[in-house]
Formats: sequence, C-alpha cells, structure tokens
Amino acid sequence: MKDIARQGMSIKVESMDMLNIQIKMEAHASATYLAMASWCDQNGFFTSAKFFHKQAEEEREHMMKIFNFLIDAGGSPISPEITNINHDYASIVDVFESTLDHEIAVTKSIHAIVLKSREVGDIATERFLDWFVMEQVEEENTIRDILDMISVTGTEGVGLQMIDDHVGNWIE
Amino acid sequence: MKAIYKSQFYALFQSQQERCFYIDFGQKTVRASFCQLLALRQKVLSIEIEDHFDSDLNQHGFELLQLCNKEHLFILNTHEVLDLKQLIQNGFVQLGISSTEEILMA
Repeated sequence: MKDIARQGMSIKVESMDMLNIQIKMEAHASATYLAMASWCDQNGFFTSAKFFHKQAEEEREHMMKIFNFLIDAGGSPISPEITNINHDYASIVDVFESTLDHEIAVTKSIHAIVLKSREVGDIATERFLDWFVMEQVEEENTIRDILDMISVTGTEGVGLQMIDDHVGNWIE
Repeated sequence: MKAIYKSQFYALFQSQQERCFYIDFGQKTVRASFCQLLALRQKVLSIEIEDHFDSDLNQHGFELLQLCNKEHLFILNTHEVLDLKQLIQNGFVQLGISSTEEILMA
C-alpha cells in the first residue's frame, strides 16, 4: 500500500498538535507584551514601552517561524484565537516579574514538545526546536538581568526613572 | 480502494490510484485529499464532547460539521461525534503518522 499520508506530511500529528498549541502561546505572549507596552506608556515608562513593543514583534516572529515550519512539513497550522490579555499591573517590577513567568512557561512548553517529539521519533520537529531552546535561554537571561538591575537600582526616589532609562540597554 | 479503519458508524478508505481518501458516512461517501483529512481531524478532535452534557453549552446535543471547503454539511449527535473521533484517531494511527499506541476496538 502506498503511504499517501506520510507522503503528505513529514512530521507526526501529535507534534503538529503541540506546535499549534505553541503557536497560540507565542501569539498570546505577543499580545501580552503589547499590553505591557501600553501599560508602560501610560505610566511614563517610555523606554520600557519600546522594549515591550520589540518583544511583542519578536514573539510574533517566533509564532510565524512555527507556522511556516508546519506548512513546510505538510501540516495544518491553525491561526490562533487570543483572549484574556491582562492589562493591569501593580508596578514596573510586577511587569518584568510577569514577563519572566511568561518566558519560563514558554520554555517549559517548548521543552515538553522536544521531549514528546523525541519520544515519538519525530527528528525533524526535535531539530527544528533546537533554535527555540537556545532562544529561550537568551530571553530568560535578558529578563533576569533587568530584574537584577531593578533590584540594584531600587525603586525609591529617582530609581524608577533610572530603571526605565537602563532598560534601553536591552533593546537591540 | 483499501480500508484503513472502520468504526461503528463510519469507515475510512485510501485510494492509491486517486491518491486520496474516502470517508463513508453511511448515507454519503466523501472524497478528501490528505489536507482535507487533516482539516477534518482538527475539526472533529476540537469538538468539546463535555458540552453535550451541559444544556447551557449545547442545548440539543448536536454538532454541525462542514467538510472539504464547505462542500459537505453533517449534523451529528453525541454518539456519532464520539464514533467519528474514534475513526479519526485510529485511522491516523493506521496511516502511520500518529504515534498513539492505543487502538480502540471498533
């Protein structure tokens, strides 16, 4: 019997399902960072607003990378529906701490897909995700560095203004 | 035409000559390309069967299913949805692109 299904798709359907969930997660991250940019802008943290605008664009690029991989692999990428975006933050520290939590959740999700693709022998998906694994190390490190900088600077007096200025160092 | 999997109500076939699939829905047989079969899988597996047991979420316990670029329309009850889910899951295992080991009895 001809393997028409295998000829049509290079990866396992389980990997496709998990990558579609990841597409949604990246889109959610992009929308969340846009909400953070809005909060920063409204609260006078203009450099941080630029930083989150850039982050939002990056997350969308990640989403498109996965979307295009699924097309190349013969799969069926799903355009995600995004809801429940939080626009309320207690402080700039809260914004960056939420960012780190978000990045950790993304990292865990990518690792789960790597492990699953390894388990099912889907080498193409596993290799594709190599770039994402290293990208997440970099993303987490950036936010950790910013939180360290906030901790050293402190939020008293002109601290908040200094924090916002320093965030500019992490805008590429 | 080769039978891939048969569930209680439905059957999935592969045609080597036409390089496509056929799904026998009982009253009607639908021709589907591989991409259309993937789209069907997405639609069927995303049906929340729990909603069929909550009259606020699904008052009548039916699902409307459009297939193959809106060429076909089916109205399925809860049993038929469950059976179609089974056909899809086991059919993809048989096709060799799903790694799910457990094959439910038809």
